[in-house]
Amino acid sequence: MTSYRLPTGGLVDRTAPLSFTFDGKALSGLAGDSLASALLANGVRLVGRSFKYHRPRGILTAGASEPNALVTVGTGGRSEPNSRATMQELYAGLVATSQNRWPSLDLDIGALNGLLWPFLGAGFYYKTFMWPGALWEKLYEPFIRKAAGLGRATYESDPDQYEKQWAHCDLLVVGAGPAGLSAALAAGRAGARVIVADEQAHAGGALLSETATIGGASAPCFAAAMVAELQSLPNVQLLTRATVFGWYDDMVFGAVERVQKHVAAPQAHRPMERLWRIVARRALLATGAEERPLVFGGNDTPGVMMAGAARTYLNRYGIAAGRKAAIFTTNDSGYALARDLEAAGVELAAIVDSRRQRPSDYRGKARLISGAIVTDARGGKSLSSIRVSHDGRTEDISVDLLAMSGGFNPVINLACHRGGRPVWSDAQGAFLAPESLAGLALAGAANAVTGIAACLADGAEAGARLAAELGFAAAPDSTPSVEDDIIAAPTAPLWSVPGSKVKAFVDFQNDVHVKDLGLAVREGYGHVELAKRYTTMGMATDQGKLSNVNAIGLLAQVRGVSPGEVGTTTFRPFYTPVSFAALAGAHHGRHFQPVRKSPMHDWAKARGATFVETGLWYRPAWFPQPGETHWRTSVDREVRNVRANVGLCDMSTLGKIEICGSDAAAFLDRVYCNPFLKLPVGKARYGLMLREDGMVYDDGTTSRIAEDRFFMTTTTAYAAGVMNHLEFCSQALWPELDMRLASATDQWAQLAVAGPKARAVLSQIVDDDISDAAFPFLAAGEVSLCGSALRGRLFRISFSGELAYELAVPAGFGPAIADAIMAAGEAHGICAYGAEALAVLRIEKGHVTHNEINGTVVPSDLGLGRMVSAKKPDFIGRAMLAREGLQAPGRAQLVGVVPLDKADAFRSGAHILAAGAETTLENDQGYITSSCFSPHVGSSIGLALVRNGAARHGEEIVIWNGLRGEITRGRLCAPVFVDPEGGRLHG
Amino acid sequence: MAEMTTNRIPLTAPPTQAALADRAPVVREGVTLEALPEGTILHLLARPTQVAAPFADKVAAAGLDLRVVAPGQWFATAPTVMSGADLVVLSQALKPEVDVVDQSHGRVGIVLHGPLAARVLAKGTAVDLDPSAFPVGRSATTLVGHIAAHLTRVNAERFEIVVQRGFAGSLFDDLSQMSLEFARL
Repeated sequence: MTSYRLPTGGLVDRTAPLSFTFDGKALSGLAGDSLASALLANGVRLVGRSFKYHRPRGILTAGASEPNALVTVGTGGRSEPNSRATMQELYAGLVATSQNRWPSLDLDIGALNGLLWPFLGAGFYYKTFMWPGALWEKLYEPFIRKAAGLGRATYESDPDQYEKQWAHCDLLVVGAGPAGLSAALAAGRAGARVIVADEQAHAGGALLSETATIGGASAPCFAAAMVAELQSLPNVQLLTRATVFGWYDDMVFGAVERVQKHVAAPQAHRPMERLWRIVARRALLATGAEERPLVFGGNDTPGVMMAGAARTYLNRYGIAAGRKAAIFTTNDSGYALARDLEAAGVELAAIVDSRRQRPSDYRGKARLISGAIVTDARGGKSLSSIRVSHDGRTEDISVDLLAMSGGFNPVINLACHRGGRPVWSDAQGAFLAPESLAGLALAGAANAVTGIAACLADGAEAGARLAAELGFAAAPDSTPSVEDDIIAAPTAPLWSVPGSKVKAFVDFQNDVHVKDLGLAVREGYGHVELAKRYTTMGMATDQGKLSNVNAIGLLAQVRGVSPGEVGTTTFRPFYTPVSFAALAGAHHGRHFQPVRKSPMHDWAKARGATFVETGLWYRPAWFPQPGETHWRTSVDREVRNVRANVGLCDMSTLGKIEICGSDAAAFLDRVYCNPFLKLPVGKARYGLMLREDGMVYDDGTTSRIAEDRFFMTTTTAYAAGVMNHLEFCSQALWPELDMRLASATDQWAQLAVAGPKARAVLSQIVDDDISDAAFPFLAAGEVSLCGSALRGRLFRISFSGELAYELAVPAGFGPAIADAIMAAGEAHGICAYGAEALAVLRIEKGHVTHNEINGTVVPSDLGLGRMVSAKKPDFIGRAMLAREGLQAPGRAQLVGVVPLDKADAFRSGAHILAAGAETTLENDQGYITSSCFSPHVGSSIGLALVRNGAARHGEEIVIWNGLRGEITRGRLCAPVFVDPEGGRLHG
Repeated sequence: MAEMTTNRIPLTAPPTQAALADRAPVVREGVTLEALPEGTILHLLARPTQVAAPFADKVAAAGLDLRVVAPGQWFATAPTVMSGADLVVLSQALKPEVDVVDQSHGRVGIVLHGPLAARVLAKGTAVDLDPSAFPVGRSATTLVGHIAAHLTRVNAERFEIVVQRGFAGSLFDDLSQMSLEFARL
């Protein structure tokens, strides 16, 4: 056993053991452990296999950047692959499983890939699997996908809930380390609304791993006091377990909070994760700095760890990550670990310092080797020795822990999410955030500040400054005294070490090693964006948090330029992986999209309606009667009954818009292509609306209710679109017109009563005289109903071609009025009919819908050319409608289609070919836009848009449906199958 | 008007059906969700340049509360149903500056109240609900989740949401889901 729990120390609760399993083996950790620390406490250091070479991998970090210790946590629908063991809090009963290995983590057949490594370099599959081409999809790709990879997603559905939440603040502080906490306190004390978000379970950041004393208190105690004060401020909100993953336009930040990822038994009523959208007037990144790995042979061997991580395991979790340690460092941070390890009684064999100059203040017992490098780490599944090279000599030192520190990269990802590019600093040996970011500042280690005192001061200053910018007077506190802090000043980066015998990894997660980058440059992919894609460096789920800067340094070295000249790849959200579930929030299952219900919904449901989804609406499709087992039986009956007797249909889903004002008529006259200016009060008119390009946009009837008020109906589908269009016309095109709009779609239950007996039925409901003389076709107006019980609006309009009315009543009265109509109609054989029968009735009459108004037709294509006003000075679409091509012969025009043999059927979408023509694209004459079985005609009928169709009535054609292999002989005809003279309307 | 027919088919009871009749109040720890009785909601439409509401007194005299909807647009609301005659009187009184569109059936009210009401609503709306930014009496037209709605802070811990009738059930269910974490166990 190598790593182990020390008898004392750490912030874990030694009285609260937690049992868990890893690859089925029962283990025990403590409350406060991460999964990684609990594994280390149990001496487990081999935790995963690498992506490509199946190399044994251990735990490299103690935080969000972990590239190696990726495991599947949980089981069934709750299993989450690629979980970072370093970020997963331990809970009782946690089940963790290693990934990308077979048959077991210890004995992994895939590790044979490692022997093939000379052939598996960057881009190998582009070069290797060139031919035969057909094998790529069938053999090569499936094989590669099987051989390489990480965890597998479950096919079971996730049983948990997720949600989204908005938050607003004056200042968002990202990161609750020393700089973030002091900034939040400075701004919070000044009265600013502050949100502090930190990815860890406990606020404190680096202070939780620190042994320095601050103001006489231990660093964790000092952090706890700061947190306590923040929590006492009502204007400060502290979010823990919340990773801010992106900075978006308008100062919106995305964050994901792991609400129940750390609990043994998630509560069903609480979300598993919560997606925050935080709107901040100012933001401060106090995101710290990421320690930079060193690139030497075998640097991925389990037992090689970041120095800061080793210190975190030691001080925060009370764990020695090895029994005999060495430190390989380029800067002073390694000495803080040295001091702490020795204080904890862990044997420290050597400190390998790449610098010649010895730090004067190291007083420990370890052998200090200056001007030295580690060239190789050995041991396979667990580190056993390192090879040190110094002064021209090499020596092997037997250790089971090597802690490395190659300096620090400020964590500036969020600062670059909106297009800013990192700037290389020679002085800092690091990329820094771009300057002058509107609304966003950085503090602490993210701002390349080193040392606890300086970070506290920098944070306090930044918090006070940002609060002051927003008008909150703030005075930064005096910084407390800090003792025993080893401050690591920036040093020159060490991008690689010479003389390594084995692979030296740059990107651990994607198995990119030094030679891959050299190969990329040699083969012409030296540009950082090309090298990224050629080698896949930085493209794994860790997005190159540890590897990118080293890769850039190495590319710079090979190309002989500065890292600044190489530049960085583009930082994009997400900073760390975010689950799709969190992004979807509650919007799944029955909450996926809203349901929109007509006021007649329950009425129709009670009458057994079968519903059909149309957009968000649920419309009754048909009303099956006892004994009807096929939808066609019901629809045919409903259609026949409307033509023979009378039917009732819910039209409430039509868009309805009230248009008021002294210029309302002038407005409509410009919006519709046909005239509306002189429409008399009490009359309805069919209106055709064009787009600016002259194509038909929407249609519907509009009635003049009063001199200065109109009631427009639109199609169901375009209700919102027309409303937006009218708003645009009103606000942007003609603001001088005195008119106003309101959507009234939901105010009215609108019922069509259609059929020869419609008047006989409705006259029992409507108090007013609705005889043909008093209320002729296209009459419209307010009426009294049911003996003055109610007032409604009645329209003598018809979609079915029958004598018909549409009666609108305030929505809540819809069901009662429908009941009254059904009662009145009982003696007349009334039936309720649905959207299917409605469609059949309108196809029989050749009335168009958006099946025909498909965005490519002008009025004349639909046979409505005469509606277009030649007198109006202007209307929307007028100018573009005059384009030559829109008037040219040969355009597709609306026609009717019938099969030659009445027993034949055809479907919408089928294409029209001239009889005897070959089935080629060139011979395509048009297509069927709508089709149905017409009980009136006794066969299938259709509407179609056919080239020159209006002049081809009577022509025999072929209806070709290549998708279904159906070829039907048919004939073009007039697009009106019932009552072409329209006599029934006027009955 | 034509001669009244005596043999009228009467409206059956109940003559109106509330959109949220089947949604019982949802009582959580710290927040309650309820459908409001369907009273009066009038949409007042003035010129978009009209920011102030000089007609506020007339609206108040008619027993209605005024809520801002958009530039030149207000909702005038009351918990009770306004008679058709009163509506005509008010509409005439507001002419010609303002046109009135009755939305009493087209819009449905839902109320969220309790100390956690703002917390629950923040799951749906991007409006900053802090009292400093959204004080009592303030209204906003906003999306609540996927559904467009009109939001008013009636008092410190009470928000009324006015939504299109067709979406009312869906919004009620969504709000119920948003408040679920405060379920009484």
